[in-house]
Amino acid sequence: MSRYFSRLPTWAQIAPVYAVIVLIVYSWTILWFFWRMPGWLYYLNAGEILMAYAYSMATNFVESLVVLSGLLILGIALPKKWFCDVFVARGAALVMAGLGYMMYLGDQFKNTVDFPKLALQAWTVAVAVVGILLIVFLAGRISIIRRVLELLADRATVFLFISIPLSTLAMLVIVARSLI
Amino acid sequence: MRRLSRRDFLKLGSIISGGVALSRFAPKQALTQPSASVPGPNILIFVFDAMSAKNLSLYGYHRRTTPNLERFAQRATVYNQHYSAGNFTTPGTASLLTGLYPWTHRAINTGGPIARAVADHNLFRALGSSYYRLAFSQNFWPNYYFGQFLPEIEKILSPASFSVIDQIISVKFGADLVDSHRAFGDLLFQDGPASLVFGVFDKMLLYEAVARASAPDYPGGSNGIPHTENYPIYFQLKDVFDGVRATLESLMPPSLAYIHFWSPHAPYMPTIKFDSLFEDGWAPKPKPVHALAGSDFRSVRHMNYQRQKYDEYVANLDDEFGRLLDALDARGILDQSYVVITSDHGEFFERGVERHLTPLMYDPVVRVPLLIRAPGQRSRQDVYLPTDSVDVLPTLVHLSGAEPPDWCEGKILPAFGGVEDPERNIFMMDAKYNRAFLPLTRASFGMRKGAHKLVYYMGFKQYQKKDKFELYDLDRDPEELSDLYSESSPLARSLRDELLAKVREVSGKPAS
Repeated sequence: MSRYFSRLPTWAQIAPVYAVIVLIVYSWTILWFFWRMPGWLYYLNAGEILMAYAYSMATNFVESLVVLSGLLILGIALPKKWFCDVFVARGAALVMAGLGYMMYLGDQFKNTVDFPKLALQAWTVAVAVVGILLIVFLAGRISIIRRVLELLADRATVFLFISIPLSTLAMLVIVARSLI
Repeated sequence: MRRLSRRDFLKLGSIISGGVALSRFAPKQALTQPSASVPGPNILIFVFDAMSAKNLSLYGYHRRTTPNLERFAQRATVYNQHYSAGNFTTPGTASLLTGLYPWTHRAINTGGPIARAVADHNLFRALGSSYYRLAFSQNFWPNYYFGQFLPEIEKILSPASFSVIDQIISVKFGADLVDSHRAFGDLLFQDGPASLVFGVFDKMLLYEAVARASAPDYPGGSNGIPHTENYPIYFQLKDVFDGVRATLESLMPPSLAYIHFWSPHAPYMPTIKFDSLFEDGWAPKPKPVHALAGSDFRSVRHMNYQRQKYDEYVANLDDEFGRLLDALDARGILDQSYVVITSDHGEFFERGVERHLTPLMYDPVVRVPLLIRAPGQRSRQDVYLPTDSVDVLPTLVHLSGAEPPDWCEGKILPAFGGVEDPERNIFMMDAKYNRAFLPLTRASFGMRKGAHKLVYYMGFKQYQKKDKFELYDLDRDPEELSDLYSESSPLARSLRDELLAKVREVSGKPAS
């Protein structure tokens, strides 16, 4: 068992990758939140809008942890040399490409009428997965890409200092309001 | 007194927080049905979203859209001039549930809540806890109201109950239903969706479930099944009606059940049996395009086709509703219940406007059905005086044996204890582009008095923000083609002064 856990990346490696996840997941929601807000201003007060945002932050927090868990499981499952040794570059690349693909899929569900047939066909998903894997592979192999990704991920860690405390607070508020 | 040590403090903290967390799982008194020694009748309210009285054969429409409602009407009281106080779901439903006009409850925007100051003025509270109170709305928006009324409702069904897949997470958030609905239903899991991971997976699961759904009754198979528009819920009418039947059969009297069907709201998706039922080549007499029709203008041909599909969908709905009524009748539930059938607003296929997102106040979009059957009623009764959706609440409270509350703006309906008053004013309004917290500056108001209907458009740029009035005599001109408004007409001036006085009284800043 300890053999497997030894493949886990260190916190210093995890934090930048987690920061990239946070940056993408939270930003996507914030964009939609601001797109939705003008309509809400017609009938919601500031407290109600903040509550909607609290739910968003709490959801984003759980989402980001789920995505990170997936990466850590990959780290355990794959040979150390393949993934764990270049965790920041390959992890960040996987997160960017994977979540980028999720953004594309999300965009296909903009209305209830059109069924996004093309985006959900097995071959288009397969092409996307191969593309993502290629990006991840190259991210570990080409040093300039690796360095850029590591630099970006490192710079992104600043967002953790905002997102984690606010999300924790949001979760506490939600639990309190749902229970009491 | 002993000083609290750090260890004691931690122990106390964990006991309190554990207690709070576990309290959620404790059995709740409110979820058990009261057992009355002599149970009174149930109250079953069926609301069909966007059902216009003008398109029902029950009210004389030449296409036979509602044979089952006609059959039901033989043992019910039929209101022939019933109006919704609003012309779309939010104000229409809020007025029905609160007995207040939109200028008071202020649920005037698409998806907006009832004003916090009056949210405790509602049917569930007015009828009290002697009833087991259940609410179900496929339309997502009334679920915000259920959340606002929450302490007064024992059971709220998920809006996606009886649908292809129930993927609505916000119903799990107990006491915080309004905010959780707003966040999950209006943002995170809405079309888009704003939740990048869970939201996208949710949509993929939903569409996968829809694609796999067996729907042999629908022309397009699973692609042709009905769905809602303000939140993606896919359903087959027969499943919804079977689910509602099972739910109602499990209720013990006295219960109040508010059932709000999405249908016949667009998209109109009848089953194969009803698809093309009205391909009769009929087209109504064209009406002039209205100045407030908006830019989303559709051709007359398109609107006639949409009208045909709507009529077919109404006939489909009527067929399923007939099946439900027969099942309830066979179980004796109808004879133990007051049954109310109505709608939150109508639907429109003329004057350059399709559906109901319009400031216009013509009858197709505000005149809705109302039928009430008392327990054991065996003959039909007709009421021809105009009535209003705000009248339903005081009538039901009166029928429960209580006094209608003082705050209610409606009156007890004729035939159920109310007085017939031909001089009474019936109001309807639309102010969806007005902020709920501010005085009304851009709105349309309708006032029905006797045979006449006066419409007042206030603050529209199409009229250079000047006041614009229209007056119709609905006895002589039921299609509202001849505008009788003239400053020189004493009748028009008298009605205008009356309506303007009312608007001045109600259009200020709402109570906070």
